[in-house]
Amino acid sequence: MQTSKVLMGLFVLVWISMGQVSVVSAGAVLQDLENALMCKCDDKCGKVLINCTCATSDKTRAKFSKMLDSGLTIEQIIKMQVDEYGETVLSAPTKFGFNLTAWVTPFVALIAGGFGVRKVLLAWVGKKDGGESIEVSEPEISEKYSKRLKDELDGIEL
Amino acid sequence: MNDIGEFTLLLALATALYGCVAYVMSARGNRIDLYLSADKTPFIVWVCVTISSICLWRAFLTDDFSLQYVWAYSNIELDTFYKVSSFWGGQKGSLLFWALLLSTYMLVVCFQNRKKNLRVVPYAMAVMLVVLIFFLFLINFSTNPFERIPLPPEDGRGLNPLLQNYWMVIHPPTLYLGYVGFTVPFAFAVAALISKDLDDGWIRMTRKWTLISWFFLCMGNLFGASWAYVELGWGGYWAWDPVENAAFMPLLIATAYLHSVMIQEKKDMMKVWNMSLILLTFVMTLFGTFITRSGLIQSVHTFDEATLGYYFLAFLFVIIAACIGLILVRLPLLKSANELDSFLSRESSFLFNNLVLLGIAFATFWGTIFPIISEAVRGVKITVGPPFYNQVNVPIGLALLALIGIGPVIAWRRATFSNLKKNFLKPVLAGIIAAVALFPVIPLGSRTEIYTYVTFVLCVFVLTSILTEFYKGMVSRMGLHDESAVGALATVTWRNKRRYGGYIVHIGVVLIFAGIAGSQAYGTHTEKHLKIGESFEIRGYTITYEKLVAVEATNIKTRIIAQLAVERDGKRYWTGHPEKEFYKGQNQPVSEVDVLSTWKEDLYMILADFREDESATIKVYVNPMVSWMWTGGWIIAFGSMVSMWPDRLEQRRRLDRIRKQEQLFPSPAQE
Repeated sequence: MQTSKVLMGLFVLVWISMGQVSVVSAGAVLQDLENALMCKCDDKCGKVLINCTCATSDKTRAKFSKMLDSGLTIEQIIKMQVDEYGETVLSAPTKFGFNLTAWVTPFVALIAGGFGVRKVLLAWVGKKDGGESIEVSEPEISEKYSKRLKDELDGIEL
Repeated sequence: MNDIGEFTLLLALATALYGCVAYVMSARGNRIDLYLSADKTPFIVWVCVTISSICLWRAFLTDDFSLQYVWAYSNIELDTFYKVSSFWGGQKGSLLFWALLLSTYMLVVCFQNRKKNLRVVPYAMAVMLVVLIFFLFLINFSTNPFERIPLPPEDGRGLNPLLQNYWMVIHPPTLYLGYVGFTVPFAFAVAALISKDLDDGWIRMTRKWTLISWFFLCMGNLFGASWAYVELGWGGYWAWDPVENAAFMPLLIATAYLHSVMIQEKKDMMKVWNMSLILLTFVMTLFGTFITRSGLIQSVHTFDEATLGYYFLAFLFVIIAACIGLILVRLPLLKSANELDSFLSRESSFLFNNLVLLGIAFATFWGTIFPIISEAVRGVKITVGPPFYNQVNVPIGLALLALIGIGPVIAWRRATFSNLKKNFLKPVLAGIIAAVALFPVIPLGSRTEIYTYVTFVLCVFVLTSILTEFYKGMVSRMGLHDESAVGALATVTWRNKRRYGGYIVHIGVVLIFAGIAGSQAYGTHTEKHLKIGESFEIRGYTITYEKLVAVEATNIKTRIIAQLAVERDGKRYWTGHPEKEFYKGQNQPVSEVDVLSTWKEDLYMILADFREDESATIKVYVNPMVSWMWTGGWIIAFGSMVSMWPDRLEQRRRLDRIRKQEQLFPSPAQE
């Protein structure tokens, strides 16, 4: 039951993170295109086009603007760019084939870590519970002393 | 002078080598004479490295272009201000600067711990010297800043215009202070492993150092973001560049360490984990240095002459292998009686906080190295840019934000249902009210907007949870002592600096989250080509292009300044002066943006282009809530200061606790 819940959680996380594709593809605007592609200037500035301020980036923007006006879609322009420069022109890995591991691995690691932390915590709590064979009845403490005790405990280096 | 600089570098290396060997031999052979001799070496090394640094600074200030490094990063016209900062503008000088900071740290550690804890300190000093020897070796034999040019040119090539910004004087030193600072806790951790002195002594000895290093690294990252915002002219502050990532990862891991180490101090648990975290933090600082100096990963920060990759890679592997080996060998001694009273406790929340912080660090690391992996596996080089990091790290970051609110209100040891109900009631209620109030106001059309909505709700939840803690402390104090509310708040904070300083840092983090969310989701920008007198509108601002002025600022710099009148509600509100700077000998002009920053939003102007007819292309961004981030940064700085401030009460409490423990468990000698 617990495992299925965690798997469901993993599914939701991956689904949310992958949802962006449809959002980006749906908006045929220059900004989306600039976000999806790297600047390919001679200086190899290594910036996403939307973040680049070099002269090449200005020319590229103007070129893309014309291409969009001519009726080309974002997908078509991206494909043309990939054909010209290779996958390195994309600002993020694609979400299929080997590149999918880029997207999935962090979440898989996080879920695995979550399982690990849960296991460790259960083991530590179990150790304590196992060790307490003698039940000690808690003395009744008045509200005033209980509050004072809490305040003093709070005062101890936390 | 240059000969002196070069000679003192060699002398520093030789002294460091002797000091390292002498420290180790003194510890292994219990030889006090060797220890006393070795203990002089940090001072000698510091003097040598300082003299060498002064020589290089002098070369910059006197335009001594016989040095290749000075020629490459300075020129006669360069401001004195930037001549000073050119010292760390390139690879050679930055390594010398690293060595200078490390030797200074080492000297302070040496004076702080003189004749103290002779089981651990000599090894710690030896480890620091090993790191310093590596850097001195590189400086002396691979990238010597005192390398000469046979026929000195009359003028230098000049500093990269992007580096001619006041942040250049602030950002790199701050970041380096953080990077280098983590050498100290790392050295003490390794020393504890070698000497088998594995109680929490090394943690206590280095707690302040860890906090100081964390503070500088955090500020370094924020200053870097600030610099990118005002200098790069693209309206943003963080581009997930590999080198930015490299500074971000140790910060995350160190944050995880600062939280989990509290559990070791309180309950003597998680020794292996804490040891691993601090070692990993140091390894990640080296990884960052490796990236900038290897040229292996494309980055805007990479040095021109990035040729030291193999040296750093080898050193990185040696350090990782040594750390893993030491931990494995000492594993039996690191085992602790790990017990928890309840799954539902602050200890557990800290573990989950560690998980999330490391999750973000791993995702960032994975994205940084994935291009190399892809090339190795598929033979295809790909790019991993901001879209990847934003999509992967944002959901994990939101989990972290929630944990910041949960941690302080969940009880140590065991949280009961009534206790949870009592502590969570107000923050959860505040969160619900925020969710309901913001729902009709905030658009939820895209995933970014949904994330932003969740972020704002969580920010309210976290802020309420933290402020409730302050309120409870204040009321409790007022109940016991006859103090005013402000007095009680100040006293309770002052008497528990570490705890409340931490809460203040959390408030700063919340503001940063809110600022990032607001600026990412609701920002807008437009670009217009205008003739003089023409106007356009953006988010209620009317911007009129008034004039274009050319100014010969220096013999090598020409400034082209556009004047833009900003009107709001029909009244002149502000005058913006974005400009382009042209440097002689540089291909690309540099944009100098002009920003009107308010609590609500930034009006960010760029002169993108201009023509001979004085028409100009103006790009304007409206970035909401950016100033929240910078305010958050200053609050973090204040909170860190409070946490780091020497606390006699804390020392007294610790001594009392140790005395009580000694009474409970008398040593064999006492028995």
